[in-house]
Amino acid sequence: MSESSRGISRARHIYLNRSQRARELKAEGRKIIGYPCVYVPIEMLTALDLVPYRTCGDIREPVTEADRALPGSFCPIMRNCLDCALKNKDDFLDGVITIHSSDPQEKTARVWQSYTDYPYFHFIDMPVTTRPEAVQYFTSQLNDLKETLEEFSGQTLMEDRLAAAIKSHNRQRGLVRQLHELTKPSPPLISGTELVQVVKALMSLPVAEGNDLLIEIIGEVKNRTDGPEEKAARLITWGSTLDSIEIMQLFEANANVVMDESCGGIRAYRAEVESPGDPLQGLANYYLKEITCARTFRQAKPGEARKDYAGDLQGRFGYIEGIVREWKADGAIMLLVRYCDPFAFEMPSLKDYFDSIGVPSTYIEYDYTIGALAQMRTRVEAFLETIS
Amino acid sequence: MSVEKKRTINRLDSMRPLRAKVNETYLKSLEAIKAGKPAVWGMLNFYYGDPILKAMDIEVVYPENYGAIAAATGVAQQYLDRAHADGFPTHLCGYSLTTLGYASRMMRELEGEIPPEAPLGGMPRPLFLMSSAAICDARYKWFQSLGRYMDAPVWTLEAPTPGVKEYFIDGYYDRMVDMGVKHLKDFVAFVEGMVGRKMDWDKLDRTTNLMIEVNRVWHEVNELRKSRPCPMHSRDFWSAMPAALFLAGDLHDSLRLYRDMYEEVKYRVDNQIGAIPEEKYRLVFAELPPWHSLNFFDRLADRGWNFVVESFGYRPPIPIDLSDVSDPLERITRFSLQFFSGYYEDARKQNVLGGAFAYPYLKYAREWKCDGAVLHPLISCRSASTHLPYVSNMLMEELNVPSLSIEGDIVDLRLFEPEDALARAEPFEETMEHYRRMRQQKGADW
Repeated sequence: MSESSRGISRARHIYLNRSQRARELKAEGRKIIGYPCVYVPIEMLTALDLVPYRTCGDIREPVTEADRALPGSFCPIMRNCLDCALKNKDDFLDGVITIHSSDPQEKTARVWQSYTDYPYFHFIDMPVTTRPEAVQYFTSQLNDLKETLEEFSGQTLMEDRLAAAIKSHNRQRGLVRQLHELTKPSPPLISGTELVQVVKALMSLPVAEGNDLLIEIIGEVKNRTDGPEEKAARLITWGSTLDSIEIMQLFEANANVVMDESCGGIRAYRAEVESPGDPLQGLANYYLKEITCARTFRQAKPGEARKDYAGDLQGRFGYIEGIVREWKADGAIMLLVRYCDPFAFEMPSLKDYFDSIGVPSTYIEYDYTIGALAQMRTRVEAFLETIS
Repeated sequence: MSVEKKRTINRLDSMRPLRAKVNETYLKSLEAIKAGKPAVWGMLNFYYGDPILKAMDIEVVYPENYGAIAAATGVAQQYLDRAHADGFPTHLCGYSLTTLGYASRMMRELEGEIPPEAPLGGMPRPLFLMSSAAICDARYKWFQSLGRYMDAPVWTLEAPTPGVKEYFIDGYYDRMVDMGVKHLKDFVAFVEGMVGRKMDWDKLDRTTNLMIEVNRVWHEVNELRKSRPCPMHSRDFWSAMPAALFLAGDLHDSLRLYRDMYEEVKYRVDNQIGAIPEEKYRLVFAELPPWHSLNFFDRLADRGWNFVVESFGYRPPIPIDLSDVSDPLERITRFSLQFFSGYYEDARKQNVLGGAFAYPYLKYAREWKCDGAVLHPLISCRSASTHLPYVSNMLMEELNVPSLSIEGDIVDLRLFEPEDALARAEPFEETMEHYRRMRQQKGADW
């Protein structure tokens, strides 16, 4: 490993050995809490000195155990996640926090809780609108989470510690955005594949260690001479989760992916928690309003009595135009994991939006298995031919 | 598919006027809309929104119901094809694809006119859409997606879905009520703005009480089905349910009809009259039935299969006394929450963490003394299918009640194979016999 790529190499190592650090911390006496979705407010875990660990699926892992608990025509990522849990791959976890961020998350939570025996398990109900009463309800849900975590950890969640944790996680969000700034040059200084590894590494580490890793990587990348080659096109990807380098490598065979708008990419880092007053309300506002997952019912104006389609698209997808312009994207891949209904419904409208801002796009569906890659490759190549 | 038309099931006379209410109400709504009344497209919302629209005298058409009608009349396929051509993935909910294809045809091809091939006079263009977050997030995304074809505003009704354990955290229930009441207050203001009229709060009060009473009587009817032989088959349940579930038609009339049904079912109980000639097996049916192949149940009735209880998602809430709640919006909220939370106390006691999606089947199988469960996973309706493997495991582990899974779909008729299912009936009877003996050896009384 050269001095100039130590951080990136470490991220790659963590990506390939995700649970290693969590197991070390567990051996040191720390408690590890798993969470399958980026909507879980991990700041509260950090504030209680619990280690958040995002439980992910594994695209290379055939689903066997989850077959007894979930039907085949169901979110493959959650099936895969549950499968890993039922195979005891996450046996170092002291607890799991699930959230009603989508039907599969909610329904898998019930099964997960029933078929496992963690010392701690909590389910957060999450409203679907961003209306004031929904934010208030969600804030109360986070207060319930706080109380159950306090009981589990035997500690009181002090406001100053929560404020400090929010600051650390905001710092991480800022650093991830800073890292993404380095995909703006042509060629980008860091590849989409490396970014997948970095983000997944961050979701496997305590926030402070993640921040140190990011600082190291940003320093390296700024000065690197072995960055990605310039390819025929610059792409952005949009979807629910892109957490496997096999997929990103496929996209990057003949293109540079400069932004991944998914919860394996920038989505959980694009905005920051603002909490001038009640930190729980700040968290509720951030998680409900700022994470731009298709699961949330967004409108140009909440409760609008008149609407037009163009305004509606702007309200739902308007944030994308800035990304396209600033990162000079030539095209977009809309990636759908099969049976992900909220994102599936979004596809035609998102295509309309890309058309409206003059960005060529293609829609690719896959079933979160390695077997899907060959077909995806053909689709991506065809798309790149079209836009070049 | 060739299912012989036989009539083994002894249908209730009192079911017929309730069943007729669906089409009658639909056609009346169409007439009213043609005469200038506003139309709203709604979806199954578990009572949150329906009494409000009813009190505001607004005509509601339900694309979910219409999807089933379009499937049964063979019209759905062209709408499905159209939705696919417009870019919607084929594995989405069949009802939603049917509506999206319908809207595409109406708005893009016919400039807002109702398609001539549409059954029952079609669905007229809506003033607004009322969607719901209850049970299925595909549904509010579906109504949002209709924005591609029509600029009708959408209101999405919030519907809290607590975990079994979390529900018992201090103050949790009250916080759900608080959100519900505030939310419905804003919904009323939205509706008032849309139709240019104020809510008649006394009328809403009466409507709410009627809704609660209709569902209480409907619940009592279903309690009578615990009798052996069971006096009422699931087919009668499905035929009669829309008046209580969707508040179809005049509620005074519905209340009278459900009371008539209660009397007829009670008469059967008192006189040991079963819904089928010889009840050999009592079964629970889980999730939506194959609307397009309901004669299938007559073939099973020939074999002595009596379906005595069915999907929790369409049954009335367990009755709750709300007479001391003066605010109708709070009454509506508490009644709607009861749909889920009515089961939670028992579910917690029995440590069934699967919640409202699973626990009711344990209760049903135990109290209605079921020998087996027929599970009907629907390829394009994941929300009504996801919990079925869990339910199957739970019934076997807790009660030694076996399940038979028969795949199908709500719209795509080709996915349901009644002959295949019937071929599995005999072996399943042996299984039910085996587990009946096992249960009885363990001290169960069925």
